[in-house]
Amino acid sequence: MNGAKPIPHWRLLAGVNRTQNWRRLRSAVARSRLHAFLMGLFVVGYAWLAYALFHKALNFTSSFPGLGPVLIERMMFLLFAFLFLLLLLSNVIINFTNLFRNREAQFLLSLPVPHQSIYRWKIFESGILASWAFLFLIAPLVAAYGATHNAAWHFYVVTPLFVALFVVLPGILGSWAALGLARWVDRVAFRVAAVLSVIVLIVVASSWLQPETVTDEMLETRVLDVVDRLLARTRFSLFPFLPSYWVSSGVTQWVEGALMGTLFFGLVLLSHTLFFGYLASTRSGGFFYGALSAVNSRGAGAAAGQALGQAPFAPRLLDRLAKLLWWGRADARALLVKDIRTFLRDATQWGQSLILLGLLIAYIVNLRHFSHRLTSDFWIDLTSYLNLGACALNLATLTTRFVFPQISLEGKRIWIIGMAPLGLRRTLMAKFLFCTAVSMAVTMALVGASCAMLSIPAERVVFFTLTIGVMAFTLNALAVGLGAVYPNFREDNPSKIVSGFGGTLCLVLSFLYIVGMLSLMAVTSRWAFGGNSAAVFWLGWALFLSGSFLLGWLPMRAGIRKMASVEI
Amino acid sequence: MIEIEQLTKQFGDLRAVDAISLTVPAGEFFVILGPNAAGKTTTIKVMAGLMKPTSGSVRICGFDGATDPLEARRRLAYVPDFPFLYDKLTPAEFFRFTGKLFGMEDAAMEAEAGRLAKRFHLGEFLAKPIESLSHGTKQRVAIVSALMHAPEVVVLDEPMVGLDPQHARVLKDILREQADAGVTVFVSTHQLSVAEEMADRIGIMHQGRLVAVGSHGELQAANRDSRLESIFLSLTKDGV
Repeated sequence: MNGAKPIPHWRLLAGVNRTQNWRRLRSAVARSRLHAFLMGLFVVGYAWLAYALFHKALNFTSSFPGLGPVLIERMMFLLFAFLFLLLLLSNVIINFTNLFRNREAQFLLSLPVPHQSIYRWKIFESGILASWAFLFLIAPLVAAYGATHNAAWHFYVVTPLFVALFVVLPGILGSWAALGLARWVDRVAFRVAAVLSVIVLIVVASSWLQPETVTDEMLETRVLDVVDRLLARTRFSLFPFLPSYWVSSGVTQWVEGALMGTLFFGLVLLSHTLFFGYLASTRSGGFFYGALSAVNSRGAGAAAGQALGQAPFAPRLLDRLAKLLWWGRADARALLVKDIRTFLRDATQWGQSLILLGLLIAYIVNLRHFSHRLTSDFWIDLTSYLNLGACALNLATLTTRFVFPQISLEGKRIWIIGMAPLGLRRTLMAKFLFCTAVSMAVTMALVGASCAMLSIPAERVVFFTLTIGVMAFTLNALAVGLGAVYPNFREDNPSKIVSGFGGTLCLVLSFLYIVGMLSLMAVTSRWAFGGNSAAVFWLGWALFLSGSFLLGWLPMRAGIRKMASVEI
Repeated sequence: MIEIEQLTKQFGDLRAVDAISLTVPAGEFFVILGPNAAGKTTTIKVMAGLMKPTSGSVRICGFDGATDPLEARRRLAYVPDFPFLYDKLTPAEFFRFTGKLFGMEDAAMEAEAGRLAKRFHLGEFLAKPIESLSHGTKQRVAIVSALMHAPEVVVLDEPMVGLDPQHARVLKDILREQADAGVTVFVSTHQLSVAEEMADRIGIMHQGRLVAVGSHGELQAANRDSRLESIFLSLTKDGV
């Protein structure tokens, strides 16, 4: 019976997962052709638009004699250096989930499949999941770089090979970091480490991005010195032991025709990829099993109150805080407390929020350097509107990622609130009001702070703060409403819920709304870009308010109707 | 044959399994009983190689799960309480996949999977996606995939959950036949009737310890009680 020529586990696992993914894709297309069409349109549209913009920007930059090529080359080094960091972070997160929170991995462990084979398959799968989106995003830029330099056809063959070798390294390093985290860091230590890391990130970003004082006289007489000083802070990307340095050097030298240089860096990259690839694919399986066993053996940990010796039913801090919302009914408050607890106990959810918030704070803290450099009204106006846009887009990312899946995440538990007197309609409203209140408070504070950093007059600070407040209302209503119209009760993973048709529609509508309303506000502004009469200004506001109300109210109404007829 | 020696498993401060020792010989149908959180599933997970023991050892047909896991798992059929299945595959494709993982030839796999599928009345579902099947049907698919490679040891965690009476009967018959053919059968369940009807020996776990082991008759004699339910309740009264 067991005399058959054994098929490598790798091939079996690849085959079964390929079949799974192909059928998943086919059923997604069959379920909603509109969704598939919109996704296809987005992919092609992004690639085309990004390529056109990058090409234009690179042509513009290269038009500066002497300076242009230096800037472009440094930009390529920076691109790959940050790509390396992002891939590393992404691989750590995805490997952790895929190795230790994955039912397929647990299933395979009980079969006669070597630990090494499971580990090898899972890091391959994680590497693809962690890398494809980043590669899709940078592809137009690299293509535009080749086009700007009139690169020959083989540039477009060699570059993907370089990048393919390159992505293996953060994939392996990320998986080893995930193994280390799983083996030695428990839940509490991980939370502390994550919060400390974000604080360190903000502090480092704030102190590192200091302005360089450049006078007109320096610009006229010592251009190279100024450029050198400006580029000094990007010098880390030239560190020769960074894999990103090897890929950047290989790509930039190939485009310049320095083939021997490219060959050298290609071989450096290949040797490292083979060395680390060999270690990962032949020597890490035992450590993976040890780490998995450590994760499975970790105690659930006592809840905060129990650790302090409180009775299990004693009200905790969140319960007491919820009582401050005296106007809300007890059942709605209980729902909010449940949602907050679920969020705080899901490291993936709050970890991603923390990263987004950290980046936003680092951005706003650094705006203070901007205000000293802006002397023209045009640039001040443009920066203030772009700042509003950046905050609104961040908010849209948050609402799509965290608010949209709220109803779906009730999942198989929907019957609890569905059968309770609270009802699904009030559940929807409670979630909407809570998410709106929180995001309004955060974004209005951040926009107010960023306006203050830009030294904008008080009346404009009020204007921008109120605008983001209205946008918070609309974006939350859109996310909650569409989340109820397109629920996915079978999925527990919020990332997968968001990637469905409803999530995509929510993201696209949010972005269109932000771009449209920002343009409207800028065009009808009283002071910016030449200024308009009071009548035009108020007309613009009326259009903004009515448009915002409609885009929020219509999905909410549809969501409430859907909830009224949902079959539990 | 299953040999468990001084097996201890610790989760943080909690000792889920506390130095249990047990030998289940070839051809024995062993049922493990115990209240919730007694340590049954943890013991089974260590047997299946899903986690390392804190101390002690588990050997499957003489192969230590920690030092020789592949040989141990090659001889083992394990069905967890919530089995994993590839939802976009059909049962037939899933059987082929697991058969290949166990190194089975196509003809043997088709014959054995076909025989078991017929007994579990899976014929009409073999070409349907697993995601479209009911909970009980998925459970039957998982059981067939585990048994088709002719294992020497069968370990099932709560196998009756989700099965209707008809298919519960089929499973009990198959397990009895396996035991009669020399296979070691180790089943965890909350259904005392399964133990009374099927088990050659019964083990009762409580708070991580094996508090009683013996045939139904031996347990009755030792506890001076004829009903397994009252024996079970008296041995586990602190945890109920």
